[in-house]
Amino acid sequence: MSSIPATIDTLDTGRRSRLDARHDRIFRGVLRFCALLVLAALLGAALSTLWGGREILFGQGLHFLTSTAWNPVEDDYGALAPVFGTLVTSLVAIVLAVPVSFGVAMFLTEIAPNWLRAPASTAVELLAAIPSIIYGMWGLFVFVPFMARIEPALTDTLGRIPLLGKLFQGPPLGLGLLTAGIVLAVMILPFITSVMREVFLTVPTRLKESAYALGSTRWEVLWDIVLPYTRSAVIGGIILGLGRALGETMAVTFVLGNSYNITSSLLMPGTSISSSIANEFNEAVGLHRSALVALGFLLFVVTFIVLLIARLMLRQLARREGR
Amino acid sequence: MDNRTAVIAAGAVTTMAAEAAHRTKIRVRDLHFHYHGFHALKGIGMDIPERQVTAIIGPSGCGKSTLLRVFNRIYAIYPGLEARGEILVDGVNVLDPAYSVNLLRSKVGMVFQKPVPFPMTIFENVAYGIRHHEKLSRADLAGRVEQALRSAALWDEVKDKLKQSALGLSGGQQQRLCIARAIALKPEVLLLDEPTSALDPIATGRVEQLIDELKRDYTIVIVTHNMQQAARVSDCTAFMYLGELVEFGATATLFTKPTKRQTEDYISGRFG
Repeated sequence: MSSIPATIDTLDTGRRSRLDARHDRIFRGVLRFCALLVLAALLGAALSTLWGGREILFGQGLHFLTSTAWNPVEDDYGALAPVFGTLVTSLVAIVLAVPVSFGVAMFLTEIAPNWLRAPASTAVELLAAIPSIIYGMWGLFVFVPFMARIEPALTDTLGRIPLLGKLFQGPPLGLGLLTAGIVLAVMILPFITSVMREVFLTVPTRLKESAYALGSTRWEVLWDIVLPYTRSAVIGGIILGLGRALGETMAVTFVLGNSYNITSSLLMPGTSISSSIANEFNEAVGLHRSALVALGFLLFVVTFIVLLIARLMLRQLARREGR
Repeated sequence: MDNRTAVIAAGAVTTMAAEAAHRTKIRVRDLHFHYHGFHALKGIGMDIPERQVTAIIGPSGCGKSTLLRVFNRIYAIYPGLEARGEILVDGVNVLDPAYSVNLLRSKVGMVFQKPVPFPMTIFENVAYGIRHHEKLSRADLAGRVEQALRSAALWDEVKDKLKQSALGLSGGQQQRLCIARAIALKPEVLLLDEPTSALDPIATGRVEQLIDELKRDYTIVIVTHNMQQAARVSDCTAFMYLGELVEFGATATLFTKPTKRQTEDYISGRFG
């Protein structure tokens, strides 16, 4: 009686192994396909912008990269002003959004009473769901007039600081790099905050308690323990926000002023890569169109370089920690 | 019942203290602890002698860890927890809200159940606490770190890799690092919350030996659910049950001639 089930067992084992191996193979194939799809999309986008911009990139590459001119009438194009505007507005956004996000995340995970945590976290996430066109309209109709009113005060105070003061000089237009940077900061704040909040919650209680037990204050625990423990995820969150700031189009287009300028003052209007494309793509033909597509390609390059720098920074920090 | 326990406990301490001539370091008076409506400590009163090892034993949920966590007010980092009563360290009530918790925690160090090194180098782990309380020169700081690691019997094992991450140490080494981290602040009292429950027998033996050495300089309170450990390392033992202090006295007496039925049942393994 015992020999019969045994034969069935051996038969079954063979079939089962073959089936399992096949399932495994299919599953691995599907996963690989998904991963390759992402790569293919990225490569496709990069290559097609490179192709679309070939006329200007290969025709007058160096001139395009280093010139500040942007003159559709004479067909003379330079990418420097939009690249500058993109980098500066994103930098302003990050400088403003990161400390605020850190504060909000810190409050929500460590200090807020329990009943407030869930609603406040949801509110932050809802902020991320507001479409960028709404931010743009709010920026233009509400925030720009407000900035126009306080900019003279900025010039009078911050503008007097040697060196740094250069950033805050110029006519109080309301529109400009600073305004765009602030609107961007509000837009990326929820992204960075949610990531920080999520990862702060993953820090083991006993790690925090150990630091408290050594007489650390809340700030010290957050700064010395929570932040280093979650560092790579926090930087990941900042990069996510930065990526969004670099590529954000609508909100920036509304409040940036759209003039091809490179100035030392944040109060002056400027332009960014994505807002140039959005503004001019409709009427652009020939070389002008090629220049705009090439700008799109440059956005890839800029974003890639920023990511690379972030990676190198992380590695540097890890080395200092003795890992 | 509460009062009677306290009186008997206090009486036991007085005789014991008189015998061993040890000064009282921590005086606990009518201590109650509530969290989210649960009455976790019910009128605890005990006198913890200076430079001795006091063990707190009892079944799970009896409040022994809770009691330990009141001594350095670590419970206060969570909302909704409340301690009433008095804990006098050298005669000063440390539960007084006006008494700085940061100062208290530099005087009363704590080591937890599982070893939790900070994600930093070995050196930084020990230097971390010192930096928050004192401004020392580089050389002085290095000296203090070495001294702490020596006291924790870890120096010889780590002196060549101070710049490496502490996460690479073994569990037993990590726990001794945590002890080094706590004593680097030169505390007066050391609270150990089941410090060996995550360690293997050899590492446990080393930590117990260390506890024996440390009691020359520190007043040690250890929570353990290992009765043999309590008997091995402690001078006084407190037995707690359901949030009350049932019996408190010299370890030798408590384990051989317990005065309470509950104590006897527990140490003879009839429950818990």
